[in-house]
Amino acid sequence: MSNQSRQNLLYRIRIQKDLEKVVGPALNRLPNLDTIISMIANLSDPQQVFISHWAGLIADSNTELAAHFISFAPKAFDTMVDADVQKWVDLFLKKYDNHGLGKAITLLEDISGFAIDQENKGVRCSLQQTSLFLQHFIRGLGGRELKISGNDETYTNTEGLFLPESISLFPQPKQNFTIYKLTAAHLWAQTWYGTWRIQVLEKLTAEYNDQKSLNIFNRLESIRLNYFIARDFPGLSREFSEFENRDPKVVALWKLWQDRANGLRSPTATAVDTIENIHHFLDIDLPVLQPYQGEIFLDRIRETMLSRIEQEQIAFQKSLDKLRDDNAPKDEADDDDFVAKQMLEVSDGDSGEGEPSETNFQLTLDGQPIELSDDLKNLAGSIMQDFGEIPDQYMDPMEQGEYSDALLAQNGESEGDTDPDLNETGTFQYDEWDCTRQRFREDFCTLRELVVPPGDESFISDTLEKYHGALRVIKKCFEAVLGESRPQRRQPDGDDIDLDAIVNAHVDMTLGKDMSDHLYTKYRNQERNVAVMFMVDMSGSTLGWVNNAERESLVLLCEALQLLGDRYAIYGFSGRTNKRCEVYSIKDFKENYSLEVRQRISGIRPKAYTRMGVAIRHLGQMLQKTHARTKLLITLSDGRPEDYGGYKGQYGIEDTRHALLEMKQSGVHAFCITIDSEAQEYLPHMYGTANYAVIDEVEKLPLKVADIYRRLTT
Amino acid sequence: MSKTTIKNEQNFIKNKPYYEPVGDEVAIFTAAYENQLPILLKGPTGCGKTRFIEYMAWHLKLPMVTVACHDDLTASDLIGRYLIKGGETVWIDGPLTSAVRHGYICYLDEIVEARKDTSVVIHPLCDGRRLLPIEKLGELLEALSSFCLAISYNPGYQSVLKDLKQSTRQRFVALEFDYPNAAIEEAIVIKESGIDESMAHKLVKLGHMTRNLKGNGLEEGASTRLLVNAGKLIHSKVAPVHAVDTAISQALTDEPDMFQAVHELSRSIF
Repeated sequence: MSNQSRQNLLYRIRIQKDLEKVVGPALNRLPNLDTIISMIANLSDPQQVFISHWAGLIADSNTELAAHFISFAPKAFDTMVDADVQKWVDLFLKKYDNHGLGKAITLLEDISGFAIDQENKGVRCSLQQTSLFLQHFIRGLGGRELKISGNDETYTNTEGLFLPESISLFPQPKQNFTIYKLTAAHLWAQTWYGTWRIQVLEKLTAEYNDQKSLNIFNRLESIRLNYFIARDFPGLSREFSEFENRDPKVVALWKLWQDRANGLRSPTATAVDTIENIHHFLDIDLPVLQPYQGEIFLDRIRETMLSRIEQEQIAFQKSLDKLRDDNAPKDEADDDDFVAKQMLEVSDGDSGEGEPSETNFQLTLDGQPIELSDDLKNLAGSIMQDFGEIPDQYMDPMEQGEYSDALLAQNGESEGDTDPDLNETGTFQYDEWDCTRQRFREDFCTLRELVVPPGDESFISDTLEKYHGALRVIKKCFEAVLGESRPQRRQPDGDDIDLDAIVNAHVDMTLGKDMSDHLYTKYRNQERNVAVMFMVDMSGSTLGWVNNAERESLVLLCEALQLLGDRYAIYGFSGRTNKRCEVYSIKDFKENYSLEVRQRISGIRPKAYTRMGVAIRHLGQMLQKTHARTKLLITLSDGRPEDYGGYKGQYGIEDTRHALLEMKQSGVHAFCITIDSEAQEYLPHMYGTANYAVIDEVEKLPLKVADIYRRLTT
Repeated sequence: MSKTTIKNEQNFIKNKPYYEPVGDEVAIFTAAYENQLPILLKGPTGCGKTRFIEYMAWHLKLPMVTVACHDDLTASDLIGRYLIKGGETVWIDGPLTSAVRHGYICYLDEIVEARKDTSVVIHPLCDGRRLLPIEKLGELLEALSSFCLAISYNPGYQSVLKDLKQSTRQRFVALEFDYPNAAIEEAIVIKESGIDESMAHKLVKLGHMTRNLKGNGLEEGASTRLLVNAGKLIHSKVAPVHAVDTAISQALTDEPDMFQAVHELSRSIF
């Protein structure tokens, strides 16, 4: 053995010993260990250090994974630049953390797939980057709310648009972005221009429920939709043609289809006409789908539509019943027969042309047009998207007994439960408004004040870490509020002379009166005089995400409020039945933002139900006792008021509303921040049209709450 | 080039302002005026409140005094003050006093922006008394029968500090304004900007699209005023998408995703 090869051997043995030290016996179980070691020996020093460093770290989690890493690391350095190797390590470790060893090893072994993906990265456009834009864009186009989500298949189920997680079809990221937009728009067009009217769905299911016919239907319908899009959105249509397949054969085939289906390119063509054309196309080749076209999954559409139609019919009839009730003359309102006989009629304006439009929808009651709420308009719009009209049976009064949140008799606490000791300190009695009786039930609710047990403080530091960028922005905005200096006039001393005051003083002097010495203007930050009470929903429904988001919101808010110096208190509320209403003190007005307060925020946990009225009365009274010029009660909530024993639906809403009105009369402003997407139905009634905000994504709550607070108080 | 200064008493609206009635607001305003009731105009920004009041001033043939309220507007800014001229003190009427004295229309625009104490001085003017107390003169000024007070405010503001007090609002006849329906809005855009019907149709369609986004990332949708502005740019040969970007999208939002959404919506129409 030459000196050279002896040295090489020693070198390889040293590498193997080093690796054994960090990975242990798992290393020796690797097949062809010798080859791997010699490949590692050929790598540069920094690469070798990288392998041994990461092998050690990975072995701390799992030695098997570390051994696999060692066996594939040389290949990784061979196929990728060093920076990408680091990304590859990060990625499979993340996979290991979230999905376990098997998935991580599969990913780890697919080095070439990862390398291709890295190369595409420059051109790829991901759904994550575009989803916010797409959501705005689709909302702007109009119609029923469509949720954007990622999926391996591209389609719509008429309530959501399912798009690929990423697109790298074209060499420019911008082009791939456009494909996202066009795909979303094309799927939206299906929901808007009547591809999924109920009669179409029924006909397809009954007569053409085979894949071949559906494929033909998809292409023919696309021809019809493209005609409508070209008419209404010429800009979009231009982009569609820009991105169409340029292969001469494909172009020719599409041309053939378009010529044969020319009848579909007309303003009066409907999807039913498309179906009737299917049998003309059974004998010719199917053109490939354009890059912006999705697929059709009839069963998924069917499932979504049928459940929606049922729900919407009930909701619509319920709203109409309410309209009839509200519009009945006072003396007839109790007469069910009279109410039911009022004639409600619908006219859908002049839209025609296969396009639903909630704006043209007009409802008349006994010949008189009625102003509709936005919700009812949206509901009617959605129904018209399904039917092309409002079906006659939707206008009928609802059968008796179908109300799900009808007024139920209010029962007090059942006998088995003992009354809490009223002499106990921190126990209070409150009235509750009973809308069926139109009077208060005196001392109906018993409320106790409890303290939230401290939680883990690491939640606070994690939150601060997670939002440290956002927090900086929030703080900056809050500082800007403070920075607004305003001139204070007629001061005894100050930065500038107040000319008005001088003139007045001169006048007084001339008239022989006493001259004031308040002659200066002072530029000083105006003192804020705000006291705010945060009322946090601790009902059981907040379990999980919502509870987390609420706690995070409070952390960010407290940090920001420290800057403003506004007086604030935080209380949670929950309870079960009228005898066990609870508010949980997290921070009272006098407390500082101390360690205990932080621990209590972290310790907020979901409890039972949401009896809101009594909590508002109790916390509102506390707020009234503060001597601030502006008093604000902000509720963070995830749904409508609800409690055991009939406190739900209209009863709960009316009691809460009454409590809020009581607050308003005593000078407390109430505002509600909610994540309940149905909040539009009841919040305007409870809080007033401008006094609430709906956050559509829970994750955004922490960022939005601080922003809303700033807007409210400046 | 010299500009002419218009004194309040000469501020007659000479040319009929273009106003497209949407309901019975003209009749109600006229009836309120005849009954000497003050009027409150509610509605989102740019929906035609100010134009309506100009139209009514023309219709009733009265000079109009407009005060744009701001958060440093004091009572004496409205009522008047003493000034010194050559060692003598001279009383100068504020805009409100001069309107009361001579029987004009006084229009307080965005009243909630004014300081709280300011809005209280109009109280005695707004009920049966129709009096304006001028403390510094020790006078009680009775309004001429032709005097009319109108105020406007946008109820969409969410700030609790900018709300109209019950004691103020309960003195007014309230007229609610909203964006007009598509046909009327198109007519307005055509008339105001001079663009053709198909372009106006597209602009109004875009307006409706942005209003779909209200509450979901936009605080307000594009107002009729913004649509008219965009129309004017287009009429002056600015490319439509660019005109919409500058006159509408940028005016509505600073958020990049939202701007892009509005931008792409306009691109899809034009």
